[in-house]
Amino acid sequence: MEQKIAEIIAGLCGGEPEEIEPELLLFEEGLLDSFAAIQLVLALEETFGLSLDMAVLSRERIATPAAIAALVREGRG
Amino acid sequence: MLVLETLKAFSETGRTALIHPLGSLSYRDLEIRSDAFARWLLDTLGEDRSPVVLWGDKEADLLPCLLGALKSGRAYVPIDSVIPKDRAAQIVAAVDPKVVVAFTGEELPWEGRTLSPEKLEAVLSAPGEKVPPENWVQKSDPAYILFTSGSTGRPKGVPITAGNLDAFCQGLLPHYPKEGGVILHQVSYSFDVSGCAVYAGLCRGMTLFTVDHQMAAGLGECFDALERSGLTLWVSTPSFGELCIQSQRFDQRLLPHLRQFLFCGEVLTHALCDALSERFPKAQILNTYGPTEATVLVTAAEVTEEMRRDSLPIPIGKAIDGVTLRLEQEGREVTEEGQTGELLILGPTVGPGYLGQPDEAKKVFFIDPETGLRGYRTGDLCFFRNGLYHYCGRADNQLKLNGYRIELEDIEENLQRLRNVRRAAVIPVRDQEGIVQYLAAFLLLQESDGLTPLKRAIALKKEAAAYLPPYMIPRKILAVESFPLNVNGKIDRKALAARLEKTP
Repeated sequence: MEQKIAEIIAGLCGGEPEEIEPELLLFEEGLLDSFAAIQLVLALEETFGLSLDMAVLSRERIATPAAIAALVREGRG
Repeated sequence: MLVLETLKAFSETGRTALIHPLGSLSYRDLEIRSDAFARWLLDTLGEDRSPVVLWGDKEADLLPCLLGALKSGRAYVPIDSVIPKDRAAQIVAAVDPKVVVAFTGEELPWEGRTLSPEKLEAVLSAPGEKVPPENWVQKSDPAYILFTSGSTGRPKGVPITAGNLDAFCQGLLPHYPKEGGVILHQVSYSFDVSGCAVYAGLCRGMTLFTVDHQMAAGLGECFDALERSGLTLWVSTPSFGELCIQSQRFDQRLLPHLRQFLFCGEVLTHALCDALSERFPKAQILNTYGPTEATVLVTAAEVTEEMRRDSLPIPIGKAIDGVTLRLEQEGREVTEEGQTGELLILGPTVGPGYLGQPDEAKKVFFIDPETGLRGYRTGDLCFFRNGLYHYCGRADNQLKLNGYRIELEDIEENLQRLRNVRRAAVIPVRDQEGIVQYLAAFLLLQESDGLTPLKRAIALKKEAAAYLPPYMIPRKILAVESFPLNVNGKIDRKALAARLEKTP
């Protein structure tokens, strides 16, 4: 799953999946903005069969690949 | 000027003019504080009528300062706080103001007088007389100067007069709900679509409901505020609508009083119209179109079910009252239905030109010999069918991304200012409907930097933030060994775009 998440992020911001470290600050490092965040959430929903809501989802929940992994785990229950 | 006259009239009532994150301002507060600012400008600057720079986001006192500048006979220049200091300084240099009001609390690198938020409060709360209409900006005086992306890498100044803005209000107001109500005030002051709230909204005695940068970035907080807003008229770019519709919370229960959506600034998609009419069955959707040079918007279409079911793109509609439109191809007027031509705008909303660039202005502004009307060539390709105009693209390199008007050359020029960048090519990435999703930059470096692609992208984006606003910084930054060239020896942009198709 971490691998998939790294691939999604790399695809969105133009890096290699291997470089996407768990604690990489996606917004603070300028890799994602609110519009890219929508694409990210849509890709997570599609890949992992989740239902996420941008309005309920605070930025902290998708701030790093590790946070995203935790979110996906939680969503899969 | 209409907005100043109506402000005066509504200041006798208890009506609320502005709701902002820290409280509210009534029409009376707005009248008193704008008069105070106008008096201060008149006392401090005397005969000097240089524009006043307003540097901020959506701080409560930006609105009274804007109106105060107009009451003192001066134009204002809004510079959004997200604009980097370097670019803000270029704008300030082009405007040559005597006063900058820094709502950001920071200082710009310039010699003149800067008003900090603390000093401003003393100015705005000083008692005094009303400023008489003789002092106000007159019909042919500039009311604001907005800066758009220019193809040279430097922002281009577009002045708009008090007369242009009056004509805009007269053309748009017939499309607004008759009674007052609450209008969304989310669009940046430095983007003219904000005039739908600031000018048309105040002229109708509406309450402006502020959504600032911080609120717009966190939808949860934004929706919590909107839930209590009593909003009746939504104004935004389609992109902001797309952002909101991603949340299931965005529906009629969140905004039970909403009567109308007004979209401006970029292409409105079928997908968004369909989603909105499902979520907000009681609200009507108004699609509009217009370039900054001809004052906010010049066409409007009430989106009908028929338009939504049609395979054609959502039309931009008919000219608003007072505006004349014409299609031209190779110097000849296009009269056949469905035939594409460049859209020409004629009438009282067409602005006076470009700031300090008469040669640039001569290329696109003109006086129509037949009617004597002032005209502007938009560079937008349109066709006319069943009484409605349809937009079908640009004749040049200009594009819209999330509502922002962007020249690719502007970004390339600025990326080439980075220390290790020799040459930059910026490619827009579009979806199936042809709408730009994001930008990718391909860079030829001066020398190898030894960084991994991601680390390099992070470093270059940070460096670029000194020259470009966030919305102009490409999402993907990729280094290339060399550029693919086409038969003419130019950078082959199609080949570069093809490299991106492999990634999502």
